Amino acid sequence: MKQMKKTFALLLSMILALAMVPALADDPGEGVLRTAVLYDISTMDVTKTTDDYMIPMNVFDRLFETRMIDGTSQAVGSLCADFSVSEDGLTYNFVLREGVVFSNGSPLTASDVQYSFERLLKENRSNTDVALEVAGAEAVVNGESDSLAGFAIADDTHFSITLSVPNAGFIAELSAPFMSIVDAETMAEAKQFGADPADTIGSGPYIITEWVSNDHYTLVYNPLYWGAEPSVKKLIVSVIPDAGTQDLMFRNGELDIIDLQGLDSAIVESAYKPVWPEKIVSTPKVGLTYLAVNSGNEFLSDVRVRKAIGMALDVESIISGIYYDNAVRENGIIPTGIWGHNDALSGFEFDPDGARALLSQAGYKDGDVHFVLALDNTAGSNVRLVYEAVSMYLEAVGIRAEVRSYDHSSWLDLRNSGAMDAFVARWGMDYNDPANIMYTFFGSPANTAVRSLNYPDTEVMERVSAARAIVDDGEREAEYRALEQKIIGEDAAWIPMFEELHLYCLGDRVASFTPHWAGFSDFYIIDVVLK
Amino acid sequence: MLNHVLRRFFQAFLVLILVALLIFLMLRVVPGNPIATMMGEHANAAAIERMTSELGLDQPIPVQFFRYILNALRGDFGTSYSMGKPVDRLIRTAFPNTLILALCAALFAWVVGIVCGTISAVRKNSVLDRLFMGFSLLGVSVPVFMAAMILQYVFAYHLHWLDISGVKSWKSFILPAVALGWNSAGSISRLVRSTLLEILQADYIDTARAKGRGQAGVLIFHAMRNAMLPVVTMMALQLSSLLSGAVITESIFAVNGIGRLAVQAIEGRDIPLLQGTALFSTALVILGNLTADLLYGVLDPRIRKEVVR
Repeated sequence: MKQMKKTFALLLSMILALAMVPALADDPGEGVLRTAVLYDISTMDVTKTTDDYMIPMNVFDRLFETRMIDGTSQAVGSLCADFSVSEDGLTYNFVLREGVVFSNGSPLTASDVQYSFERLLKENRSNTDVALEVAGAEAVVNGESDSLAGFAIADDTHFSITLSVPNAGFIAELSAPFMSIVDAETMAEAKQFGADPADTIGSGPYIITEWVSNDHYTLVYNPLYWGAEPSVKKLIVSVIPDAGTQDLMFRNGELDIIDLQGLDSAIVESAYKPVWPEKIVSTPKVGLTYLAVNSGNEFLSDVRVRKAIGMALDVESIISGIYYDNAVRENGIIPTGIWGHNDALSGFEFDPDGARALLSQAGYKDGDVHFVLALDNTAGSNVRLVYEAVSMYLEAVGIRAEVRSYDHSSWLDLRNSGAMDAFVARWGMDYNDPANIMYTFFGSPANTAVRSLNYPDTEVMERVSAARAIVDDGEREAEYRALEQKIIGEDAAWIPMFEELHLYCLGDRVASFTPHWAGFSDFYIIDVVLK
Repeated sequence: MLNHVLRRFFQAFLVLILVALLIFLMLRVVPGNPIATMMGEHANAAAIERMTSELGLDQPIPVQFFRYILNALRGDFGTSYSMGKPVDRLIRTAFPNTLILALCAALFAWVVGIVCGTISAVRKNSVLDRLFMGFSLLGVSVPVFMAAMILQYVFAYHLHWLDISGVKSWKSFILPAVALGWNSAGSISRLVRSTLLEILQADYIDTARAKGRGQAGVLIFHAMRNAMLPVVTMMALQLSSLLSGAVITESIFAVNGIGRLAVQAIEGRDIPLLQGTALFSTALVILGNLTADLLYGVLDPRIRKEVVR
């Protein structure tokens, strides 16, 4: 027994001694930035994705980029050196930046821009909305024409785009990641554009050199890039599906930037904010988390029930209890940070008694109103908690909202069918224009149906669609405010909740980092400065 | 014997076809439109319809199935909807990691399980027996994710002996292999111990001892050989299951393997990738069982004779 105790003590002291060995993380090399994502990208081709923008944003350029200037997001010229708009707001004349070449040395011309627009239409998969606004777009989509009638090229650097109807937000739309410009010449030979890094050529500040599915991808600085040389010369993005592992890697010095949205909020609050307060960077995730209610549903078709739902939710408590105040209350459709946002909108006040009274007025007793709150099972832990909270608040006023989990594909199918009762979701803005959210959700009967809103007021939908064409900013803003008041205040067609903050923590090697203006997880690598 | 082997291979092939048919039908019965999922939120109905037609998903199911089987026999499992890459290439990339991880985990489980089980049986009720059985009990009761996180924290983050995640060198497989194999090691050691304890009481063991065989000789040539029959069955099943994907371990240690690929396919309703990974995993399980069957014959002459007869 004595011998055993000795052996045990020896083993214990050896383990303790080894535990004292200091941390020695590998030196990544000068100019190298390392970060991690929870999920791999599915493609590098913007015509095939509405999510995976890291490669498009850094390997490709657009005519314009949305950048933060003096605290506000604005569309600034990128490949476009100059532009003018005709008086009727239909025709845009562009001048391309001189001397821009793609990373394979091929020069950028107006034909490449036209090719990029037509490619979106011919592929006709995702992100066709903007290209569809150009005159003659339908003919290209239907295969009746090979080229866009509304696109006229004067020479290699001068061209014009004519729209079918005026759209005041067109320039902002051109800055969306999916409006990336590709090289027509390269595309003619590329066999696996978007899948093979060698075929995925752009004019942006970085070149994608390697993509190992489910493992990592690497971008290196493009020496032919027309802009200023960035601080980061090489970016390695590892696919680490476990947020806890990312956490350990960051603490161990193996990651230079960690996206904190994958971690539990409680860990962020207790283990990050107090330890590295000066290294936390936050930005609003410009967009909206909302509760969608289906106006076609037996109970939800009654505006009093929808209003009662809005009044039953204590959104402030959800923000403080689940998000630890890393979110701001939203009362309308146009989120904070987007041109046209209305701070003065009052929205729904938390009033459970008022909610009960409205339900009673509508003729419903406790438990009469019931529906399914459909949860996409790929949702993160915070969103799941929001579902539980919503269900609990509704139960408190006598509404039975059963949280039912669906796999992503079934969830999407049900929502697209227009038959989903209600769900909590988030809409992130692709570009800084109210139409990105107003038109997408309430621009047409098809748009509201595909999101299971089934908003019935066609007159309002016509106004939302027409608002895109109002060229005068003041007039347009006033119209959007009136529409918000009608859709939310009078019709309670959806329940706005909050806008989240996106938090990152920077490692010792990073001097500064400006996140994406809309709080995407994807970011411009040029916005990172290494020490 | 050759006939038996060929017969088993033929049976395995039939099972594989049957499983392929089942997977194929199940994926077409479950709710959810894979094309809508693939094309994203902005895709309109016309685009979804066009893509459905392009991919041949509007064809009758028997036509789709026979086309799939014919292509699969040629090694073409289609292109992943969500990743845009050929399924066989994705499996080829992921499988080496899964294979190494499974073999390392199995090796750890077998060596540790057999050694601990044997020592425990021979030194029944000793301190070592209690220590090893405690270790086994922990192995079978601690969830894999918990074991993985503890090992990762202690040996990678705190002691810096091994990698936290990813596959950088052979050392990267040590922690995931131990996390994954611990449970199997626990099961094997408990099985080896109980089987050996029973066998060591048998008359033929006394006979062997009476004939002057030493303790090691009796243990290795008489007891162990018979004790290995159920153990081999368990080992083969464990290997099949380890090979068909260790989702949690692969996720925590960021190992790009078959398990993660399968989960990705399920989440994205990626039919070609899901069919490919499911069929591949099934083939591995069938192969594992086949190997166990054939090993029986090698280990037990009675079974061999029965087969030949």
